[in-house]
Amino acid sequence: MKILVTVKEVAEAEDDFEIDGLDIDERYLEYDLNEWDDYAVEEAVTIAEDGDDVEVVSVTIGPERAEETVRMALAKGVDRAIRVWDDDLESADMLDVGTKADILAAVVEEEDPDLVFSGVQANDDGFGATGVALAEVVDMEWGAVVNDLDLDAEGGVAHVHRELEGGVEELTDIELPAVLTIQTGINEPRYASLRGIRQAQRKPLDVQGLGDLGLDASVLESAVSRTAMFEPESESDVTVFEGGAEEEAGQLADLLRDKGVVEG
Amino acid sequence: MDYQLSDEQKQIKEEVRRFAENEIAPVAQEYDVEEKFPHEVLETAAEMGLTGANIPMEYGGAGYNALETALIVEEMFAVDPGIALSITATTFGSDAIMEFGTEEQKERYLEPVAMGEAIMGAAISEPDTGSDVSSVSTTAEKDGDEWVLNGNKMWITNGSVGDFFVVMCKTDPDAEGRYNGFSQIVVESDRDGFKSEKITGKLGIRASDTAELIFDDLRVPEENLVGTRGMGFLQLMQFFDVTRTMVAAQGVGIAKGACDRALDYAKEREQFGKPIGDFQAIQHKLADIHTRTEAARQLTYKSAWSVDNSDDQLTTLASMAKEYASRVAVDAANECVQIHGGSGFVNDFDAERLYRDAKITQIYEGTTEIQKNIIARELLGKGF
Repeated sequence: MKILVTVKEVAEAEDDFEIDGLDIDERYLEYDLNEWDDYAVEEAVTIAEDGDDVEVVSVTIGPERAEETVRMALAKGVDRAIRVWDDDLESADMLDVGTKADILAAVVEEEDPDLVFSGVQANDDGFGATGVALAEVVDMEWGAVVNDLDLDAEGGVAHVHRELEGGVEELTDIELPAVLTIQTGINEPRYASLRGIRQAQRKPLDVQGLGDLGLDASVLESAVSRTAMFEPESESDVTVFEGGAEEEAGQLADLLRDKGVVEG
Repeated sequence: MDYQLSDEQKQIKEEVRRFAENEIAPVAQEYDVEEKFPHEVLETAAEMGLTGANIPMEYGGAGYNALETALIVEEMFAVDPGIALSITATTFGSDAIMEFGTEEQKERYLEPVAMGEAIMGAAISEPDTGSDVSSVSTTAEKDGDEWVLNGNKMWITNGSVGDFFVVMCKTDPDAEGRYNGFSQIVVESDRDGFKSEKITGKLGIRASDTAELIFDDLRVPEENLVGTRGMGFLQLMQFFDVTRTMVAAQGVGIAKGACDRALDYAKEREQFGKPIGDFQAIQHKLADIHTRTEAARQLTYKSAWSVDNSDDQLTTLASMAKEYASRVAVDAANECVQIHGGSGFVNDFDAERLYRDAKITQIYEGTTEIQKNIIARELLGKGF
């Protein structure tokens, strides 16, 4: 069995930052593995540890800097990794969901996995769509926002819980091959062990360009473009209650009723 | 010359730091206040392999060399020295087994320590034996195929929580020469005649366990001897340069922790209508401690690098690094408290704990005074 995990190195802005053109000024950014992808990696690695002959491959689209993030996935137990990047990707203004799905689809064609895990969303651009868009392109079954997975590898079925709004869960059986977008909390991601970090340095990490995947720069054409980036003014309002405890509690209750937080 | 850490070294630093921020920082104050050994944190640390960083891969460790181990020590001590020491000290004494132990001893002792299933320690100091290691009076007499130990060991890290200890004792009192006649023997804590008493009331590193050990006609099999009978002191001396480099790394970590917290607080705390970091008096303090911390770091890294690459310069560098980094740790922690003002005097902030924790680095593993003696001795070309 083979599991492909799509991972992304995301940018995190400092508390105080400045916007430079269409993006946050590079000076205020730090890069890390996308939080959701950490759970996706853990889920795949756990399945590999518990099962026989499971290979876990991770793929990322990103510049050389992203290798640090990919190596961390290798250190946690991923067997090998693919990084997709070339000059065309480097010069692209932005990579929209369709572009990423097409690129990842080419990798899926090449790897032919039984399962693809991706994080529900990325905590930088937050499209929250790459996983399901990929499923559409490669014509696989899919399940979004999976917070519990019971895999029947022999039967070729993933029994999943999907997290819906309002604390409701949907229990679904999905036939493999499938793409699952993994929700945080599905497991407890491990720390990369020191032995793992050491061993990760020798695991294969292939860099592939669009051409290697049978694609060309036309995949970068997009109907979506970023037109502006701005930071909304944050508003804050303070209400100070005065009086005895009972009075203050009453004032708070009035306020909560007023704001529609509680009824009655 | 290459002043960049490798990608692997950066990954180690980053992941260890993440571990320390998530698993150590939230509980540091509690273990300090209660003087409690952090068994729970140790369990998570062992899963990550932090208890066996320098133990060879074949015995379950990560097999990291001195420089990587120093990076790990630095990152953890920057967050909390007490718990950091509890984690890194689980392998105290293991270097003697790695270097001089038999294959059987390595499997028996190194593997469980690397896996986090056992804690070990080194027992050298005694009530009357501190800096003058050659005055050890704990004896081990051969009786048939056993060693019989008698004596007291003082200030033993992990003394009341450890499973076994590499004990320095006198086996051949008639041997000629000040440094001969000592041997290193492994003593398991579940042997009859073993007693330990936890030492409480420490100024700092209070999560770390310290105890007095008492051996009363304690018998261990003869195969517990590590290396060569009578050569214990000379065996031990081989590791002083490494262990001192690690204390230097502890000092760098504490100094880094103090620098980070001082900088954060200076940016946050406002007086006279602006952050105190806008005042030059505070700026100069910050500049000074950051500069000295970086200097201590480079000295320590060079010493750690020398452990694996350049033996001839190591002894001097290790003592220089240990002396300087521990002094910078104490000074940086002091300035950190000063910048925190009243808040630095209570344990709502980490500054107070770092200030107390820093001091031990000038005392254990050879005091500041001993380090200066060594540096001078090496400079003047005098023997030990």
